[in-house]
Amino acid sequence: MLELKELFGGYGKMTILNGVSFKIDKGTITTVIGPNGAGKSTVFKAIFGLLNIHSGQILLDGKDVTRQTPAQIIAHGVTYVPQGRNVVPQLSVLHNLELGGITAKDQTLVKRRIEEVMDQFPILREKRHSQAITLSGGQQKQLEIARSLLLDPKLILIDEPSIGLSPNLVQEVFQTLKKLRDKGVTILMVEQNAKAALAMSDYGIVLELGQRRMHDRADALLADPRVGQLFLGGSTQKSVA
Amino acid sequence: MAEFLQITLSGLATGSIYALAAIGFTLLWQASQTINFAQGEFVMLPAFFVLIGMHVLGLPLFVAMLFALLLSLILLGAMFKKLVIEPMLPHGTLPIVMATIALGILMKESVKEFYSAEAQPFPALVSDRTVDIFGASVSFQDIANLAISLLVVVALQFFLNGTRTGRCMQATAQNPGVAEILGVNIKRMVLYTFLINAALATVASFLISPIYLAKFSNGEPIGLVAFIAAIVGGFNQIRGALVGGLLIGVVDNLAASYVSAQYRAAVPLLLLIVIILVRPQGIMGKAEGRTV
Repeated sequence: MLELKELFGGYGKMTILNGVSFKIDKGTITTVIGPNGAGKSTVFKAIFGLLNIHSGQILLDGKDVTRQTPAQIIAHGVTYVPQGRNVVPQLSVLHNLELGGITAKDQTLVKRRIEEVMDQFPILREKRHSQAITLSGGQQKQLEIARSLLLDPKLILIDEPSIGLSPNLVQEVFQTLKKLRDKGVTILMVEQNAKAALAMSDYGIVLELGQRRMHDRADALLADPRVGQLFLGGSTQKSVA
Repeated sequence: MAEFLQITLSGLATGSIYALAAIGFTLLWQASQTINFAQGEFVMLPAFFVLIGMHVLGLPLFVAMLFALLLSLILLGAMFKKLVIEPMLPHGTLPIVMATIALGILMKESVKEFYSAEAQPFPALVSDRTVDIFGASVSFQDIANLAISLLVVVALQFFLNGTRTGRCMQATAQNPGVAEILGVNIKRMVLYTFLINAALATVASFLISPIYLAKFSNGEPIGLVAFIAAIVGGFNQIRGALVGGLLIGVVDNLAASYVSAQYRAAVPLLLLIVIILVRPQGIMGKAEGRTV
């Protein structure tokens, strides 16, 4: 459903993506792994219209969406949960959720969806009138994920969901993502915690120096010694040579 | 006692007008890191738009006021953003500060050069009768100024908190990166902020000019007081700017009556120094910290 073709891009004149190509299928979880600076988060920014793309193409269900604005990408059914804290601190939980559906024409539908995601994340219902800044890190992440679900996205880009979360909470987040996948949502994730992430994914992509090095089933990647090498700070290329 | 009440009430009335300018100042800072040192001139100028409307175009007062509001929205709102702030924004805060100082001088000198260097009488919106409140004689004008300013602030708060557009503006101010990835039209929200600031300055101008007369140099004290009010209240809070404005209005008036009229201009500055020493985040402000 999502395809990147020979994508080059970066910030200003600095190039980070050096011809990334890959294709992911509907209803799958794909984890992107790779060393720091490999361009993992940058790929997400490129897809979401936040990067200066020099050349190449991004296709969504066959449609060219290269260089579209975030609002346009959202309209295609894609949402993005960046790494770090991404709540609006002084707005209430409820109003943060509402922002997740701000682009929707039908606001009564958004109201219903807010109720649904609060059922899914009970803590958010409990704290719905609190300012988002008063939530713990884990609760804020849940809020962000819940917010990204408001428009019933087809594809969710989620960057480092586990950072700052307790191991229990990480498992919870992963379970949520799996449930979404089972409902047909496609998930593309970047994760530092590569082993845990691959263990719950269908596919994995290894990114290095802004290029795709490997793309395989997640279990195959987990078993691959070159990937193990990568976790230890090595390079896939050295071990091949 | 009656005298004290009288001085306090008229201080609140003037302070509420300062608050309008201070709130606009705060909004611009939040939305686009613009420190507008021309804010005082933004309050000075709309009065002259009204005078031009009345004396040059021959419009009746209320039509001239609408004309002034419209002109302010275009010039002090949209054009200010487009021609001054946007080209400067990529270069950081300091060039914006310099540009707005220059703009203030330009506005001031233009009025002096092309309209008049003399203070111009400005029509009062309400009668100058006084009313007796607990022995204090308070002018209708003061009461109307206080009521109108507070009404404007309440309406603004309602707009920012009670409407989706208002909340999008808050999101843009508090976390523009997030607002963008949620599909909020950031540029439009920032434009709204500039328009609101222009409108606030215009209302302040309509209210203060009957008291101080319309004069090219009126912007200096008003701009300074608005700046101080915003800092005293807490730079990142609308409520703070309101409290700061009211406080300065009252303290200034009390000082002029009970301490020394010569040194009244020093009082807001003293207040500023004390607040910065004791509570640098401002009376209502929160330290710009991060929670883990």
